[in-house]
Amino acid sequence: MVQSLVHMLHNMVLKVPDAEAIIYGETRVTYEQLWLTSLSVAHLLSKQNLQKHDRIAILLENSPEYVATYYGAQAAGGVAVGLNTAAKARDLENWIRHSGATWLFADASHTELSNLIQACGKDIKIVLVGENNTIHTEFTWNNIVNSKNKEFDLSNVTNSNDPAAIIYTSGTTGNPKGVTLSNKNLVTNIESILAYLKLTENDRILNVLPFYYTYGNSILHTHLAVGGSIILENSMMYPHRVLEKMVSEKVTGFSGVPSTFALLLGRTNLRDYDLSTVRYMTQAGGPMPPANIEQLLEAVPHIQFFVMYGQTEASARLTYLPPDKIFEKLGSVGIPIPGVEIEIHDEHNKVVNEGVTGEICARGENIMLGYWNDPESTKQVIKNGWLHTGDLAHVDSDGFLYIDGRSSDMIKSGANRISPKEIEEVIAELKEVLEVAVVGAPDNILGQIIKAVIVLRPGENLDTKDVKAYCKRNLADYKIPKLIDFTDTIPKTASGKIQRYKLQEQYK
Amino acid sequence: MAVEQKVREYILENYLFTDDQSTLKNEDSFLEKGIIDSTGILEVIYFIEEDFAIKVSDEEMVPENLDSVNNIVKFIEKKQNAG
Repeated sequence: MVQSLVHMLHNMVLKVPDAEAIIYGETRVTYEQLWLTSLSVAHLLSKQNLQKHDRIAILLENSPEYVATYYGAQAAGGVAVGLNTAAKARDLENWIRHSGATWLFADASHTELSNLIQACGKDIKIVLVGENNTIHTEFTWNNIVNSKNKEFDLSNVTNSNDPAAIIYTSGTTGNPKGVTLSNKNLVTNIESILAYLKLTENDRILNVLPFYYTYGNSILHTHLAVGGSIILENSMMYPHRVLEKMVSEKVTGFSGVPSTFALLLGRTNLRDYDLSTVRYMTQAGGPMPPANIEQLLEAVPHIQFFVMYGQTEASARLTYLPPDKIFEKLGSVGIPIPGVEIEIHDEHNKVVNEGVTGEICARGENIMLGYWNDPESTKQVIKNGWLHTGDLAHVDSDGFLYIDGRSSDMIKSGANRISPKEIEEVIAELKEVLEVAVVGAPDNILGQIIKAVIVLRPGENLDTKDVKAYCKRNLADYKIPKLIDFTDTIPKTASGKIQRYKLQEQYK
Repeated sequence: MAVEQKVREYILENYLFTDDQSTLKNEDSFLEKGIIDSTGILEVIYFIEEDFAIKVSDEEMVPENLDSVNNIVKFIEKKQNAG
């Protein structure tokens, strides 16, 4: 096994230095250029006495700068913490403080930046990428990337079993979950994915998924591990533009969540585009309606379509459905990827029989080290070496896995996994609100949309617009409830816990 | 109500959740300013089709027609004149 992501990239820099690694608008970055920029970041951090395992927060959209910072941070022995760029200052501050990050590489035009800098004060060194006339920092991207020093001691990279990256999956004030991954976790998962996707240096993927999430993170590293090219397109807002770019860049691959494919199928005619270069597409991030899979493969029958399932806690990937089984096993998320064991457990932690629904539990070198600084939460999901995913499923007689639902309350909306508690926490801050419950309601495009059910204090009035406006100030836009109901009571258990399943039943 | 005013009110009400006119400039790019996302744009199309009795074809779903108040107003007026 290669020791680290940085070593994987370095191997490709030696093998295909002039190949295109990242294409972003008009900018085309070769492996050699990416490597030099990454080393510039590493040199700066080392010169400023970065210690092994220090955390480096990255608040950048998908861009060559994001990638160079991620690899540069790890080359210097740091732990890369990619932050959700849609988040508001309160979540960002929460994650920065929780991770104890000592550095922040941030987009100078990020709308939350001044609030964030005010909140974090002098506790963190900041590198601004781009121009900002009102915020001045000691370090800027332009003055660190001019290094032409190709030499760097890769022995700084953390040991393969030590933390290398943290991905935050939720932002509740009391309990942010920072999935901590080692190089062994990441590299093992990359090698397993490469084994079934069969990526090579000739592959060119158009990527619309954010790198700060595990799916996008995995796409980035798998393609850089083989010397392939990643073409960045940071929005699915105009699906025609995405398809035009797939054609003009002669891409071989495309990855999405169910809503990505729903948008393509709903608002474009795939047959109008020459997608003959596309070899494969992958889908993860929740169940894609079988009818959409059939429609997609009718439009582009020559591609291999991989349905996949995973979790951030598993470095990304746990199972995949071999494309030749797509129709025979329609609706299944497939079989374990190489190196992963899957079992379905009942509530007593016993393995259930085939066809019986239970919780998906997984074991392998890709399972996270744990949640950052949170041994209690880690113990709740990793028991006897098995990751308890919170997802419910059954296995058929051929060993193929079918997801039946979730045992946890997380809402899946588009590519986002959202804790209802985060939203409840914010809405409950409104003085008019007595209590609030948040659930997922079904949606054709996004899978689920967010619904908030609110009980007001006696004599108080509140407009749905006021609730949404308050959420917009404090939450990422994708966490703003689409639907808001005012009601008299919220169903609860005898001990006062919200019965979300009862609320969900009402909105089916 | 003038087209521009109606479009502005819709965006302010549904994506910025405010009556404060100063929060939205007519030339603001919805994509660059993060005002609307990929599913929001489908709602905007639905609004245009319902409120202005216009059909927005898939090919017309491009930033030149939809990515700011100005672009939407121009697009609606062009379609109305053509119809």
